[in-house]
Amino acid sequence: MKKLAILLFVVLMATSAYADQALVEKAKGEGKAAFYANITAIEPIMEAFTNEYGVKGEYTRISTSKFLATVLTEFQAGKLLADVLQSPLPIMELLKEKGVLASYRSPAAASYPAWTRKDDKIQIFGIEYVALIYNKELVKAKDAPKRYEDLTNPKWKGKIVMANPSAHATTISWLIGLKENVFPSEKAWMDFVKGLAANKPMFVRSFGPTPAPVESGEKLIAISMPKYIITKAPAPLDWARVEQPLLGTPRGIAITASASHPNAAKLFVDYWLSKDAMQMLADKVGEYVLHPGVYPPIDGIDKAKVLPIRELSDDEIRYWGSEFKKIFDAP
Amino acid sequence: MFSTRTALTPSLIVIVGFLTVCPVVMLVLGSFSEGIGAFGKFTLEKYIQSYTDPAFAGIIVNTVIFTIGSGFVATLLALFLAYLNTRTNIPFKFLFRIISIIPMMIPHILFSVSWVLLLNPSNGMINLLLKQIFNLENSPFNIYTLGGMILVEGLLDLPIAYLILAPAMAAFDVSLEESSKVSGASNLRTLTRVTLPVLRPAILASFILVIVRSLASFAVPSIIGMPGRIYVLATHIYRIIATGFAADYGMAAAVGMSALAASIALIYLYRYLTSESEKYVTISSRGYRPSLIELKKAKYPLFAIVGLLSFVLIVLPVLVLFYTSLVPYSMVPDARAFSMMNWKHWLDVLKDPISLLSLKNSVFLGIVGATLGVILSIFVSYVIVKVRTRAAGLLESISFLSFSFPGIVIGVGFMWFFVRTPLYATIWSLLIGYIATYLPYGIRPLTSAFIQIHSHLEESSRVCGGGTLYTLRRIVIPLLIPGVVSGWILMATMFVRELTLSVVLSRPGTEVLAVQILRFAEDGLWGKLSALGIMMICISTIIVVIASLIGMKMTRVQETD
Repeated sequence: MKKLAILLFVVLMATSAYADQALVEKAKGEGKAAFYANITAIEPIMEAFTNEYGVKGEYTRISTSKFLATVLTEFQAGKLLADVLQSPLPIMELLKEKGVLASYRSPAAASYPAWTRKDDKIQIFGIEYVALIYNKELVKAKDAPKRYEDLTNPKWKGKIVMANPSAHATTISWLIGLKENVFPSEKAWMDFVKGLAANKPMFVRSFGPTPAPVESGEKLIAISMPKYIITKAPAPLDWARVEQPLLGTPRGIAITASASHPNAAKLFVDYWLSKDAMQMLADKVGEYVLHPGVYPPIDGIDKAKVLPIRELSDDEIRYWGSEFKKIFDAP
Repeated sequence: MFSTRTALTPSLIVIVGFLTVCPVVMLVLGSFSEGIGAFGKFTLEKYIQSYTDPAFAGIIVNTVIFTIGSGFVATLLALFLAYLNTRTNIPFKFLFRIISIIPMMIPHILFSVSWVLLLNPSNGMINLLLKQIFNLENSPFNIYTLGGMILVEGLLDLPIAYLILAPAMAAFDVSLEESSKVSGASNLRTLTRVTLPVLRPAILASFILVIVRSLASFAVPSIIGMPGRIYVLATHIYRIIATGFAADYGMAAAVGMSALAASIALIYLYRYLTSESEKYVTISSRGYRPSLIELKKAKYPLFAIVGLLSFVLIVLPVLVLFYTSLVPYSMVPDARAFSMMNWKHWLDVLKDPISLLSLKNSVFLGIVGATLGVILSIFVSYVIVKVRTRAAGLLESISFLSFSFPGIVIGVGFMWFFVRTPLYATIWSLLIGYIATYLPYGIRPLTSAFIQIHSHLEESSRVCGGGTLYTLRRIVIPLLIPGVVSGWILMATMFVRELTLSVVLSRPGTEVLAVQILRFAEDGLWGKLSALGIMMICISTIIVVIASLIGMKMTRVQETD
């Protein structure tokens, strides 16, 4: 069985490599692929792409809160400079609705789980996973939370840092994800949220500023992302191995309908989804990717169950944002 | 000659209007449109929704306290420093000037973060130290309060206040103070009864500019206010943008309109309060040379106070930055932290081609942008102060338009505008955006300098046959040099560290320093952030030193003429 799988894989690779050649030639003629995304330190991947195919990979980083506004503004003015877009799935869906995305099914995604391509426009390739990140010098592994509910233990009072749950969309989605995927009942979940609020976590703007207070010991534990264990090494960070699954917002990639370098765009998406590129993303940036068998080099992550959070509408996020504001601001 | 003068006002209104009105118009359109773009079906929904929010009243109260408090801190400190520096014989003056300008060069995120490292209630360094010395149970200071926000914002805006007040103090007619002393008043009484009242336009200008600036500021409210759960207008707007993936900048603009209205009201108030500008004229014709007050015995104690102040307020945070750039991650300083120090973050930044490109772009924008900006400011200030028609009032208000909009919103306004021009995604869009937004940094120091030049001087020139441009070049500009230098420094240092517009307008090839710094911040890489930040401070310092030296040289040449 295993041999058959390998054979199949080789055949698949060979055909896709053959198909590639024509695409590569056309892409070379176009010269470059412009890529809009908000993802840390992917310059090595852009460089490897440029070296591999002689087509320049050009990366423009646009922060998540400005992503939709920027892409739509350019698109509506007929000046979208991007050939390929990458962002959290809810934004990709909105872009699809507005007609910004083109159809493309990359052969490189053949090995990805079926749920990663619900339609022929967006390919999901990773999950922005969230976990409890603690200072391993100040907290012993055995004292770290074993379940999410442990965060409500009064021993964590004044020791938690998290992104503002009344405003930060990803954190709001994460809390809703817990309700729908982890907690047995709405009441158990609400008890958790209220218990967390009672421990008076310190709020910061987004995930970016969450690890620093934990590294320095200002706080002990953060609702944050395990990727910081890689990007902030040698900081004394570790993730709490909770029994329950980890959750995160899926990340999607697609090519644009107005791409001025359509073949280079396809070539870039193929390369992005390849094992090589995904391995780089996992190794260098600590991202959780969906290419089978590729994991970030974080101890124990390969055994963790990581689930995608359902897409929430903005109305839902705003509603829960104001609910969380009431709960967390309560004296 | 007269025709040049009348043509000046309308043409300036056209130029400045083009620069500042276009993005604001786009934002006004966006705030009345359905959906999330600049154009859509007309709706009032965004205004109704944002202004009926029950939390809004509390946010306004916080915002008023925060901005007025910052205005007081910055202006009082600047008055103290500028007076000692320009009017007394306190030692090491050159050092003072640099120290009071340094906060202008530090990215605001970095400055706020270093204060958090110093004063957070859990393990802030100053708190830990005081707890140890006095054997305290609890931390004596908590930065995450309105007081903490006012302190840090006040310090960040100190250079604005200083660079407006210092030139006005330098251009002071000695005869006024001499008359006061001849009539038997003490130094202190002269200061409070003569010097300060005469400086009223400059003091008000500084106070108002700091209020407007802190209204638009985002770094301090987000880094210090949010952990303390204190919301002001800027963080409220951020909440509107960040909650949900389809960020609604139209609604953010609707909230921003109240900041705009407040700023315009302040500018008219300022014009009203300084309307009898003749009262404040101090350089009339002869005897213009500010005298120095002999501090005698107070000299060294005063210097010690200022030195200590500068150390705690400015040197310490910069040291914290330097320390952060050397340790591998955020650590409380102890023996282990010092043993782990290395230059890794510095080498990483220096090897990064984008960081180097952004360094080049920012220096270009700083020098070229400030030069063009100051030239425009000279003409605008001249009209504002010397023409004083209704049109001049209009010019003054529109020069503040983009400046008084909260930063996170105005960038999007510029994007909505530039995408309809061929300038989009070029470095020129950054240059134009910078000048348009920060025009008041050039105009304010120059107007407070213009106010003090008596029209007799210009009239004499005209009587002798000098035209408007000739009068400007030979009479007015030489007397304006301190104001020009201040304006240029404010603009250049601002442009080198500009973030809010750049983050929206910069594209591959037009990366600038602050955007690179923001990327490090978003990834939580404080070490690299600090290393690049210090490089930025060094570049700005070099620019400031060169500008000051050129300014000093020019003033000297004029004197020997």
